[in-house]
Amino acid sequence: MQPTVTATPTPLLVERRFPLDLAGSIASIRALYETGKKERWSPDAQIAWDALAPAAIPQSARDAGRLVWSRRAWLEYTGLAETPALLIRFCLELGRESDPKYFLTVRNTEEAWHIECFHRYAGALGGYMNRPADARWEAVINRTLYRSALDASIALDAYVAVHCALEDGLELELSKLYLSNAREPVAAQILQRVVADKERHASFGWLYLNQRAAGMEPQQKAQVQAAMQSWITHVVFSGYQIPSLSTDIDDAPLRAATTLAAQSGLGAATPAEEEQTLTAYLARARERLSQMGLVLEPASHPRLGTL
Amino acid sequence: MLTEAVPQARLSAPTILDMPESRFPLDLGIGIPRIRNLFHTATSNQWDPASDIDWQGLDPSGYTEEQLYAARMYWSRRAWGEYGAISESPALQIRFCKENCPADMRLYFTIRTQEESRHAEVCYRVAERLGGYIQQPDLTEFQGAVATHGVRKMALDPDTPLEAVIAALVCAAEEIAFDVFRHLIEITPHPVIRQVLKSIMRDEVRHCAFGWAYMASRVPHLSRAQLATVQEGVITIMEKVELNGYHSAWLAPDGPAARAETRVDHLTWEAGLGATVEELEKPVFIASVQRIRSQMLDEWGMKLPMFRHPRIEGEF
Repeated sequence: MQPTVTATPTPLLVERRFPLDLAGSIASIRALYETGKKERWSPDAQIAWDALAPAAIPQSARDAGRLVWSRRAWLEYTGLAETPALLIRFCLELGRESDPKYFLTVRNTEEAWHIECFHRYAGALGGYMNRPADARWEAVINRTLYRSALDASIALDAYVAVHCALEDGLELELSKLYLSNAREPVAAQILQRVVADKERHASFGWLYLNQRAAGMEPQQKAQVQAAMQSWITHVVFSGYQIPSLSTDIDDAPLRAATTLAAQSGLGAATPAEEEQTLTAYLARARERLSQMGLVLEPASHPRLGTL
Repeated sequence: MLTEAVPQARLSAPTILDMPESRFPLDLGIGIPRIRNLFHTATSNQWDPASDIDWQGLDPSGYTEEQLYAARMYWSRRAWGEYGAISESPALQIRFCKENCPADMRLYFTIRTQEESRHAEVCYRVAERLGGYIQQPDLTEFQGAVATHGVRKMALDPDTPLEAVIAALVCAAEEIAFDVFRHLIEITPHPVIRQVLKSIMRDEVRHCAFGWAYMASRVPHLSRAQLATVQEGVITIMEKVELNGYHSAWLAPDGPAARAETRVDHLTWEAGLGATVEELEKPVFIASVQRIRSQMLDEWGMKLPMFRHPRIEGEF
């Protein structure tokens, strides 16, 4: 899993800036940008941090919550480098619309707010942890997505299909799951904001994919399908989003922490609930993709079987 | 429909992208308090070009066709310039993450890029309101002057120190842009245009402060040789970008395109719609360069050379 120095330099497109079209051309995505601006928020002002009473939470649950929310920060952090890379890619690629570019600038700010909230919440529960206890998780999380986003040999549409539609859609579903189980009020407030933002993030991916899929040649569709399949096998099944799916790393400590945090209402879910969410999501995603003429083949997980 | 597959040129020079990611230990606490404060201030001072500008007050009637065309071109050009910060500067964010810079920088720069998109949007809207945004310069030779400030390339280049990029882009180029903005606000009579300029400038204050705060945290740790590289970066952006007309058309190499753009500035200024002219801007530009030189000397112990330009008498 550990990425290595690339054998050859990552190929980058050469920008040809003019003519520079800044008009809106995909109304639905422009609307996401406008909504994002209108629904701007501040972690400091809109989250009632004082409502959190750590002393009322048993120590064991606080420790579990610290780990869960720290890990959440590590994953959300992926966007801090990925989103600017994707934004640049849209700018480099000839003829790409202005709407995704505008939208991505807002998305990145929202990711920063999420990170700050996750970090602060973990801190309030007793202390943010700056790395996984098992170093093998580091290789799973260090995905160099920013490189893939800029790599000219990877089709932008395939990238968007996988990471903006499919992946952000899964993140949204998991966030909703965590919110549904957040009895602690500050966790609930944070997750409400996160879900609202991630609704737009996932919408962006699906809307853009829908826009592009209509004009895709069979070869381009095959590219997209292969990329989606690879993501399920190499990212989802590695335990990146749902640690219990890893077959290489013992997830017992994380399993115990997420279960206890879920039982304590700290905005988490049990591994079983996460896996059910994934299964249901993939089924819906498969249906949605088929309407675009894209096929998501079943994927086989060693423990869960065919998904 | 998918865009027709157009063969597009590629670069394949080594960049920071080629190295493995190593985000752990992932420290997210406050490392540079001034920059974390900028992030929080920016978060609480967001504005929206769609709703926070009195667009009804910008009435295109009462201006000549020539003035309107000039103003449209001027504001379109501003949009192109702001767009450069959307297309290029986010590379710095990738660099901050790759180098595990203090989290404050990584968090702040997200909203900084969003502010740049607001600026591009508001400039686009002004041009539209005045009759229509223009997608490119009239003369292609001007494209070279406005197309790129080279920050993306510098930011992704593992051999260019980050300090050199920030010093050049922020502490030099953005400082000059800021001083010119302040000047524009002083001389622009139209209230809506002034509102637009003020809204942008409020963000630019933070953009500049970011650069100086970062450099203040880094300069004490730089060797003499590293500081010399920083100096080289600043000189390059001054000579190749600023003095080449990236921000001010009258500084671009003389030719039909530069003259046309200068004429655009003059007509827009005359109409009170936001531009300035060489005679008014020149002393502001010179004072800005002098102030930057003085601040870099005082704060970093770095001495910038004097510069020359055919349109400015003597050294400055």
